[in-house]
Amino acid sequence: MRLLTHNMLSSNIKGVEKGFPLRIEAEKVVEKPVEMNADFLRKMFEKVEWKAFVEASRSMGYAQLPEEVDSGMLESDEFLSRFHHALLELHLEEGALVCPETGRRFPVNKGIPNMLLHEDEV
Amino acid sequence: MALLATATVAFKTINTQIRNRSFLPLQKHLSLSSSLSSFSFFRTVSGRAMELERKNSTVIDENGVLKKGIAEFYDESSAIWEDIWGDHMHHGFYPPDSTVSLSDHRAAQIQMIEQALRFASIPLEDERKWPKKIVDVGCGIGGSSRYLTQKFGATAVGITLSPVQVQRANALAAAQGLANKVSFQVADALDQPFPDGQFDLVWSMESGEHMPDKAKFVSELARVAAPGATIIIVTWCHRDLGPDEESLKPWEEKHLKKICDAFYLPAWCSTADYVRLLESLSLQDIKSEDWSPYVAPFWPAVIRSALSWKGLTSLLRSGLKTIKGALAMPLMIEGFKKDLIKFAIITCRKPE
Repeated sequence: MRLLTHNMLSSNIKGVEKGFPLRIEAEKVVEKPVEMNADFLRKMFEKVEWKAFVEASRSMGYAQLPEEVDSGMLESDEFLSRFHHALLELHLEEGALVCPETGRRFPVNKGIPNMLLHEDEV
Repeated sequence: MALLATATVAFKTINTQIRNRSFLPLQKHLSLSSSLSSFSFFRTVSGRAMELERKNSTVIDENGVLKKGIAEFYDESSAIWEDIWGDHMHHGFYPPDSTVSLSDHRAAQIQMIEQALRFASIPLEDERKWPKKIVDVGCGIGGSSRYLTQKFGATAVGITLSPVQVQRANALAAAQGLANKVSFQVADALDQPFPDGQFDLVWSMESGEHMPDKAKFVSELARVAAPGATIIIVTWCHRDLGPDEESLKPWEEKHLKKICDAFYLPAWCSTADYVRLLESLSLQDIKSEDWSPYVAPFWPAVIRSALSWKGLTSLLRSGLKTIKGALAMPLMIEGFKKDLIKFAIITCRKPE
């Protein structure tokens, strides 16, 4: 699971007011290099919830993202490559996504998050 | 348990016969209709086996049993489908009275996607109005997601109950160089793991029929739709009820139930029911149409492929659930012929 995906997921357990962002418990993180596409990154920059993204990246072991950003940074190759690396090249293979309110763990196995709720959480 | 054993013996016998090629000359002479009637014995046997499976289950919660059944059905069947039909697990769209060969079916499945986009009035000529974030609800092995991602240059996320499908969907995405644009996870369409208003295209291609709570299903589609987003539902429905009808006729209920058992479907609803649900959520531009005439060649083609050498041997290697599903296919044709089953498209927009 890439951080691009993590940035879209939330906990919808019954009664939870703020299920985003999910905390990451990383047991196995794998780096898989992929070609950078600056246009794609610029488009994604507008959609990404940055604070959640930085925190998630840190949980995955990558702390080189700036805390605060503005679109001017998209001109910098250095920034783009760090953004690219964190967004697309880090994969959570084993671990869990944790609901920020209830602490309920959604397991991630072989890179696939299982977001199915139990019957009493619905 | 005796009936289950009988079923197993019956299938093992057929398997051996095929392996010994003693079935093959017979198969060549089978016309479609005679082969369908020879299935009736097996339908009874497998139906009883399913009944036993249910009775022996001590899980009180029916939806839980259904979800598990759906996941296992697709875990078991997806590979054989993909092997013969490719990565789109939905009907093809055929012009009426067309004669198509198997090679046209993939093109027809792509047509289904394109026609659905057109029907929903997605402005295909104006790139600025193209969807940028798509959710594929009940995504199968991701055929629609990958197609839409490539078409619109958008990102897409797909959800399904089947872990096997997610794995395959991600693998296909990686193989096609789309892994950074589309991702898949195991999740429940009735409780989508996304915050509100995330997506500008909400896509449900032939998954609605699996949803046990149509109201919850539709309300989740609306919830994750962004303001101004388009929602497209293509699904199997039963015919609309007449003004003085409270329910379907008994034979119709019985017929649908047999299909439900084989394909892990909950109770069916009508196209009009979907329209009412969308109206109740104040969605706009609600449109619906009966596309049954455009999918007529599909089930006969699937049956033919199942009866091919590759189809039969794959089926017998797959598992009981897949076989049961295959045996129910003539029921779909019958349902369409009797105007009971409708292939419906329902689209709408979330207000700005």
